[in-house]
Amino acid sequence: MDCNRLFAVVADSTCDLDKDLRDRYGIDYVPMNYILQDREYPASLDWEYHSAREFYDLMRRGEMIRTTQVPRQVYLDRFARYLAQGLDVLYISCSSALSGSINTANLVGRELEAQFPGRRVRCVDSLISSLGQGALCMEACRLADLGQDVQAAADHITAIRLTANQVATVENLEYLRRVGRVTASSAFFGNLFGVKPILISDALGRNFALKKIKGALNARRELAAMTARLAVRPEEQTLYISHADSEAAAIQLRDLILQQAPFRDCRLGCIGPIVGASVGPGTLAVYFFGQTVTTNAEEAGQ
Amino acid sequence: MTQTPVTTLSGAQLHRLLENGYRNLKRNLAAVDALNVFPVPDGDTGKNMTMTLEGGVRSTQPPEQALGELMEHFAHGTLLSARGNSGVILSQFVSGLAEGLAHKTTCTPSELHRALLRGVEKSYEAVIHPVEGTMLTVMRESVEAVIPNPGESFDLYFDRLLRAMQLSLAHTPELLDVLKQAGVVDSGGAGMVYIFEGMLMGLQDNWLEADASAETEGFSPVAITTLDPNNLLQFGYCTEFILQLQPTKTDVVHFDLRSVISRLEELGESIVAVADKGLLKVHIHSFAPEEVLAFARTMGEFLTIKIENMAVQHHETITAPEPKPRQRFAVVATAQGLGIAQSFLEIGAAQVIDGGQTNNPSTSEFLKAFRQVNADHIIVLPNNSNLILTARQAAELYTDADVRVLETRSIAEGYSALSMLEPGADSVEEVIESMTRYLPYVTTCYVTNATRDAVLNGLEIRKDDFIGLTDDTVLAAGTDRRQVVLELLARLPDIDEKQVVTFFYGKDVAPQELDELEAEITRRWPLIEVGRLEGSQELYSYIMSVE
Repeated sequence: MDCNRLFAVVADSTCDLDKDLRDRYGIDYVPMNYILQDREYPASLDWEYHSAREFYDLMRRGEMIRTTQVPRQVYLDRFARYLAQGLDVLYISCSSALSGSINTANLVGRELEAQFPGRRVRCVDSLISSLGQGALCMEACRLADLGQDVQAAADHITAIRLTANQVATVENLEYLRRVGRVTASSAFFGNLFGVKPILISDALGRNFALKKIKGALNARRELAAMTARLAVRPEEQTLYISHADSEAAAIQLRDLILQQAPFRDCRLGCIGPIVGASVGPGTLAVYFFGQTVTTNAEEAGQ
Repeated sequence: MTQTPVTTLSGAQLHRLLENGYRNLKRNLAAVDALNVFPVPDGDTGKNMTMTLEGGVRSTQPPEQALGELMEHFAHGTLLSARGNSGVILSQFVSGLAEGLAHKTTCTPSELHRALLRGVEKSYEAVIHPVEGTMLTVMRESVEAVIPNPGESFDLYFDRLLRAMQLSLAHTPELLDVLKQAGVVDSGGAGMVYIFEGMLMGLQDNWLEADASAETEGFSPVAITTLDPNNLLQFGYCTEFILQLQPTKTDVVHFDLRSVISRLEELGESIVAVADKGLLKVHIHSFAPEEVLAFARTMGEFLTIKIENMAVQHHETITAPEPKPRQRFAVVATAQGLGIAQSFLEIGAAQVIDGGQTNNPSTSEFLKAFRQVNADHIIVLPNNSNLILTARQAAELYTDADVRVLETRSIAEGYSALSMLEPGADSVEEVIESMTRYLPYVTTCYVTNATRDAVLNGLEIRKDDFIGLTDDTVLAAGTDRRQVVLELLARLPDIDEKQVVTFFYGKDVAPQELDELEAEITRRWPLIEVGRLEGSQELYSYIMSVE
């Protein structure tokens, strides 16, 4: 990271960037919280309170895990720290269709701009989550290193955010349905054994159940085919795959994709506690830059 | 035999002969059912053919009606009550027979022969790929070979025809290897033989009594659970009785059936009323059976009465009572067992016809379901190879929607297709494409008890052993059910490519056994995901969809 950046890049717990990537790119994040067995824990992407295995095993055993937004005070303290150092803040948030955190961030940003004259806080709704959001943050860092200012970077990220594609599959949609974070016709629910929904992030940042695939392996094949079809200039970009305690499946998926699309390299990551609590164990999500997402879940007849 | 030989038949006479044929088939129903290729307890050909023909027998019109018209009604009744492949073929045969007799007031043996030829032709048309060694062969060979001699009476003609049918039937195992392996003759052919035997018996003045169970046909054990105590009466009562007309109460000799029918029409619908030899036989669907009985009592005394709440009749479709708004797409499926029916409704079927393994729904039950779902495009999942023809027949008769029959041959295939339903698709073709995408990869497996000793596929099977089979092959047998399931799976040729096994478990299976099976299956085949649904079906411990 270049020390002469004009602004700090801040994400939140849904960006699923591990410590290595955050350090390498210089990305900070503000934690949301998860509530497990009546105790609230900051949603650490380094799994400080529960290991990923512990966390997803608890879900497999039926433990309900709830999540809460980034608290106002956390935004205040973190943003203020950067502003006090003379840096502007570019906050790239979880899709507003999945978390309302960005609303608090916007209010806090205006408050702080008044307190720190001349400093700017820009909040960009990523309209995606997990490593899709993470990839946009890394792109913002690249601009910061080129010496761009916060407004230019915010405009650029806003302009390209819908080229960040998600194709994903979950073990079953019950987790997402329980928290109301999926748009799907009723035909996707019920005892559909072996039926894997394919989820994309739509033009408004909603998880949209696009189609059904029978069998977990067939679902991975479909994700690979979709990735190969939708990715633009794969040879110039990194492929990101995030998984919820299903690394072996993620590796298989990576190999399937790389057989069909020549990505420069591939990075696997664990889905963090916030996204994980909504999607459930076994989820596989692929992120890449591709064709601009235009699908609108409601117009698609769902 | 003192009677004069019959050389012409009126409508009433032919109807009475057919009724005698029906009664003879009914008496031998169990024997026909037992002619089953596999030693599994699902033989139902006898029952299907009986119930099919019963639709014709019950369609009785006033006996003075001309032969052609009477047979047209008879054929229509048979068509609507057709169930099972053998039933559909029989109904087409009867329908061809009626076509051959259209506009005739009476017929001679040669005229009947020509009509029978048309019946054969029409029954072949009913199936896309006619298989020889079945009832088709039995009818074709005999009807073609036996031609009435000039002046020959009906009883002599039928005597020769019946012998030819029996010979042809005995020959069926030579034409169809599965029959030979199982050591049985074709069941549908046997059913036809019993029908014609009964007709010959009538010609020889040997009239069969309607046996007691015949009068309870269609009133199989009811699923009481389908009647909510708070339900309003939605369907009324199916009411049937036979009344001994009494001279003290009515004019028995010049009995006025028409005015009886017009009074009944005020009390209900689906009326069949016949007066014959001092008896009045009535079938009516009414919301006030007590008024029907009181009215009947003014003319005589009852010999038998039966009243059935149609909401709980075994064959009634399980449905929401209120009329549904018009949908773009709707799926109509058949299922056996309440558990399976509920699973189907839960994952998107608009209507489930509770067929039962040995109680197949008729054409008219499909038609009723089509009307109830009220959709532009109706997709039918017959879920039983023995219902595909019935579903197709109903689809052809139905004019108020575009009806597509997917050829799902088992509950497992139907479940697989329905689980892939995506009703948000733009066209019916897309919906069907999605539903049928994985069907070629579905293998249906069954585990049940053997009904007899047998040696099949190199397996020595003892009666009551558990046997594991696919649609066409017995693959495992033994006394330990879990072992039979695992061996069955292991012997599927493409098990290593399978990704999902869904168990529909029957009434006799404990959850613990499924836990053990699931653990063992995922251990042996890590790629496979196991699902389970409480099917509560009879006869089969497990029906499994392996895909």
